[in-house]
Amino acid sequence: GVAPLGPQPLNEEHKREIRMQESAFNHVPQPSDSERLRLYMPRNPYQTAQHFPQVPPPHSDTVEFFQRLSTETLFYIFYYMEGTKAQYMAAKALKKQSWRFHTKYMMWFQRHEEPKTITDEYEQGTYIFFDYEKWGQRKKEGFTFEYRYLEDRDLN
Amino acid sequence: NSSTAPNSMMHSGIMQAREIDDPPGLREKADALLREWVHMYHQPAAGRDSTKAFSNFVQHMHQQGILKTDDLITRFFRLCTEMSVDMTYKLMSEHGSQHQPLPISVKTKCFQRLDAFVRLIALLVKHSGDEANMVTKVNLLNKVLGIVAGVMMQDHELRDVSFQQLPYHRIFIMLFMELNSPERILENINYQVLCAFFNVFHVMRPSRAPGFAFAWLELISHRVFIGRMLAITPNQQGWPMYAQLLIDLFRYMAPFLRNADLKKSTLLLYRGALRVLLIMLHDFPELLCDYHYAFCDVVPPNCIQMRNLILSAFPRNMRLPDPFTPNLKIEMLQEINHAPKCQINYAGAIQPSSFKKDLDSYLLNRAPVSFLSEMRSTLQQPCPELGTRYNISLMNALVLYVGSQAINHIYSRNLSPNMSAIAHSAHMDIFQNLAVALDTEGRYIFLNAMANHLRYPNSHTHYFSSALLYLFAEANTEAIQEQITRVLLERLIVNRPHPWGLLITFIELIKNPSFKFWQHSFVHCAPEIEKLFESVAKSCSQQKP
Repeated sequence: GVAPLGPQPLNEEHKREIRMQESAFNHVPQPSDSERLRLYMPRNPYQTAQHFPQVPPPHSDTVEFFQRLSTETLFYIFYYMEGTKAQYMAAKALKKQSWRFHTKYMMWFQRHEEPKTITDEYEQGTYIFFDYEKWGQRKKEGFTFEYRYLEDRDLN
Repeated sequence: NSSTAPNSMMHSGIMQAREIDDPPGLREKADALLREWVHMYHQPAAGRDSTKAFSNFVQHMHQQGILKTDDLITRFFRLCTEMSVDMTYKLMSEHGSQHQPLPISVKTKCFQRLDAFVRLIALLVKHSGDEANMVTKVNLLNKVLGIVAGVMMQDHELRDVSFQQLPYHRIFIMLFMELNSPERILENINYQVLCAFFNVFHVMRPSRAPGFAFAWLELISHRVFIGRMLAITPNQQGWPMYAQLLIDLFRYMAPFLRNADLKKSTLLLYRGALRVLLIMLHDFPELLCDYHYAFCDVVPPNCIQMRNLILSAFPRNMRLPDPFTPNLKIEMLQEINHAPKCQINYAGAIQPSSFKKDLDSYLLNRAPVSFLSEMRSTLQQPCPELGTRYNISLMNALVLYVGSQAINHIYSRNLSPNMSAIAHSAHMDIFQNLAVALDTEGRYIFLNAMANHLRYPNSHTHYFSSALLYLFAEANTEAIQEQITRVLLERLIVNRPHPWGLLITFIELIKNPSFKFWQHSFVHCAPEIEKLFESVAKSCSQQKP
């Protein structure tokens, strides 16, 4: 740039300001400073090679995009990105794929077949569920899904 | 008075941050309580939003006598702030080095404690007084924000260059987020919360706490803060506050930007400011439109792109005709008769009041002529802040005031501010006198003040475009014409965006043969200048004749 009006020496106050600003420059705020704590996947900024994608693909924050992800990816997002928009999107995508969340076991269930019994309080039959401790899908026969543990809020 | 009460709460909070004559044993009590709370906050049994833990904790606060008086509560907050901050410094000095980012695990530890403290503040604010008692909650919030700001200012002063922004940044942003969660109690006090945060950010502006400048810029450009300030709060109530924060930023940066010799840290802050301006230009162009005058008053004259960003904004419902359209007639546009909004009382900036009186009398009577020569000396007041021998603010106010008076005068005669209607008037006397009688520096500031109104189609743009071209045509020396060209050109040879009115004016200047633009010697003074003009002319789709 240019200084059309000519340079003007800084006064003492401005020199003090610039000194404080320069020292603050040595530890400028990082993105994580103004975000909720991420326990499992904290931000870890690193300069990656330029030919590597620097930004995620466009529209990767839509339900349509999340529905194209594998169920395992959705489960990963659900359990490891708690309290984020991504978790919300993952839950939405799972619901659309007929997975239901069990609020007592904190696991996702899907009917493997039509339930053998359905009442006002529960249904019973064979279910697939995702075990977040063993990290895999399991089958459970004769399981009773009590509706009071069914997470049925509208995600909209 | 209900509107000043929160403010006085904040200031008493700031003052109390310096009081250290605590009753014996209070620090130990506060320390034990804060530790206990951090522990409870992280237990699974804390309940959603820590509500279960909080009701137990309030009992303990009662038992310890903390909630007995307002004074004790205030001291408790101050001690907790100090202890939370000290803990951060301790962890940082144990694990971090000056120039390396803090290890993630250390940061996590800091945040786990700071976030717990923030949640405690948020819950105490939410549950202070009855549910319907908004005043108590708002007062408490202002008090706490004042305390945190006061502790920070003191820390900034004492620790000097080893001051750390991190703990305060975290407390402010997390508390803001907590208090903006979708809950009815909070929604009722939403506007007051916003005002409280505006006040505390204004108090901690970079000229007061330059060591906090980067975190401060992060705070005021945070997406949720911008959203609340400019989009969600009804009737644009947050706009004047946000404009004030931007003015705080520009005013702080001005002495460093005007010298063109930028330190790395200033460059980073400058890039941040450009980003915020780009966001404004894209999402809230009306803010830049309404406050362009106030912003241009504090942005140094050499920050061309910054000013172009401000001046390029136009109301979103407006469609601008392409300035390169052949035979575009600016008079034919509907919008050209509407005055732009200006949220600043520029007439009040014309000081001293005797000068304003003389000015009005001259505009009315076109006499005495002595006013014109006195005007020059009034404008010549050294302004070391911006590195000029002139009072730029007074010049800006004078130019806009005379211009808008001229427009009113022309409309009252049922004319439109074109080249012939603007001539031979008291208003034009003033402008012509300034163009002729000022020295190079004064004229540069004067012409810049005029060019600051070349924006989207409106009556000011039309008037000042015509006035600049008139001054060019009627100039008695080539130096004036060269300077007009310089002011326009230097705003065009920078990267986009370029204000619409600026392009229109420049194209008219080089296209309309009556200005004999290409016959002036300054156009041909150096081969690189000549090339520059040719390329600009080409891009304005007009070959050099």
